Amino acid sequence: MALMTILQAFVEKCNQHERLRAMNREWSRTVVIWAEDTGSRYWLRSVAGELQAGQGPPEEEANMEIRADGETLEAVFSGRLTPTEPYNQGDLMVRGSQDDLFRLDVITLMIWGE
Amino acid sequence: MMSAVGGARARRVVGVSLGSSRRDHQATLVLDGVQVSIQRRGTDGDLERARERLTELDGQVDAIGLGGIDRWLVVDGARYTVRDAQWLVANVKTTPVVDGRGLKECFEPRVIRDLLAQGQIDPSQRVLMVSALDRFGMAESFYALGFPTVAGDLIFGVGLDMPILSRRELVDLARRLLPQVVNRPFTELYPVGEAQNRDPDPRYERYFDEAEIIAGDFHLIRKYLPPTLAGKVVVTNTTTADDVEQLRRRGVRLLVTTTPVLEGRSFGTNVVEAAVVAVTGITPEDSRWQPTVDGLKIEFGQLNLNPVQ
Repeated sequence: MALMTILQAFVEKCNQHERLRAMNREWSRTVVIWAEDTGSRYWLRSVAGELQAGQGPPEEEANMEIRADGETLEAVFSGRLTPTEPYNQGDLMVRGSQDDLFRLDVITLMIWGE
Repeated sequence: MMSAVGGARARRVVGVSLGSSRRDHQATLVLDGVQVSIQRRGTDGDLERARERLTELDGQVDAIGLGGIDRWLVVDGARYTVRDAQWLVANVKTTPVVDGRGLKECFEPRVIRDLLAQGQIDPSQRVLMVSALDRFGMAESFYALGFPTVAGDLIFGVGLDMPILSRRELVDLARRLLPQVVNRPFTELYPVGEAQNRDPDPRYERYFDEAEIIAGDFHLIRKYLPPTLAGKVVVTNTTTADDVEQLRRRGVRLLVTTTPVLEGRSFGTNVVEAAVVAVTGITPEDSRWQPTVDGLKIEFGQLNLNPVQ
C-alpha cells in the first residue's frame, strides 16, 4: 500500500480515538517524513488534537523530522512495527524534542497496542 | 510492630533523599523488639550531593534508604533499571541500599486487602493512582479486587493528558516506554528538591473529582492537589503534619499511610524498608523477604480526617 494511503489511515485512526484527541488538544506540531530511498516527502500536522496528512513539503517549518526507507515507514505507520525497533537499530532517524518523540510513541501504542 | 525493646543491639538507618531538606526528620522505631534510629537527609534534588552522602554512609550504618528515586521499576515481572539511581549508589559497596520497592510489592497489597476487609473501601469506588508503575503491587491489588482504576503515570509523570484505563494498557505502556523513560534524567519525571514545596497546580482536577480513592506517591498528589477532596480516601505515605492538615482542609475523609506514623509523620517506604533490612538482615532479593515482612506485623496508618457525620 502506498505510504500516503497508510498515513491517511493513521490520521483517521488518531482522529477517531477520543482519548488521543483529548491528549493532543493543546499539541500543535508539523512532522515531515522523508522516504529516503525514493526521496519522497510527506507531512503530518496536529492542530488542536486534529491530525492531517499530506504529500510534498509542508507549508510551515516542521517541528520534527522522521527519516527511513519507505518500507520501514509503511511498517511503522501501519502498526506492523513499533517505532522503537527500527529506531534502536538505526533504521529510523528522528529529529525533534524528546517530549514529542515520546508523544508519538504513545500515539502508536494507543492505536495498535504493544 | 511496636513491642518491648529487648537486649538486641540498636540499629541505625539513614534515608538519603533527592527530596527537599526541609522535610528532614529523625525518629526511633521499634521493630521486632529492636530499636532502630531512623534519619532522613534530603539533598534538595542535588544528585552529586546525594551520591557523596551515600558513599560516606557506606559501612557506617546498618542499612541505607534511597528516597525520591527508584532503583528499579518492576512491572508484571519485568525489571527496569533507573539509570540515575544506579549512578547514585555505584560507590556503595557494603551497606545494603533499598528504595522501598520490597515493601511496596509485599506490604502495600496487604494494606488494600485489609482496607477492603475493614469496609473502609469497596470495589464500586473509582481509584485514581497518580502513578502505578512505581507501585505496581498496589495497582495489581486494585485491578484484582475489581476496582475501576485509572493510572495517571502519563498525566502526572510526563504531562501527557492520557489516563491509563486498564492493567493491559499499563503493562503495554511499561514494555514500550519504560526502557526509554528509565534513561531520562529523573528530575524530569518526578518532583525533587524545592519542587516538592511549590504551591499545588490543580490543572488535572477532573481526574481527582472522578475518583473516590486517590492512591500513590504523595509528592505527585501534592503537586497537583485540587482545591477539594471532599469525602475521599487517600492512600499514600511520606506525609508530614502540614501535609495532613492540607488534606484535612480539603475534606479528605480517610488518610491511609502505608508506612507507620511516627511523631506525626509517615516515613518513606525506603527508610522503613531499610529498618526491616537492618533488623532482620534479609533484603528484598531474598526469597524469605515476604514471610519476613509478614512476620513483622507492620502497621499502616489510618487517620479519620473528616469523619462521616
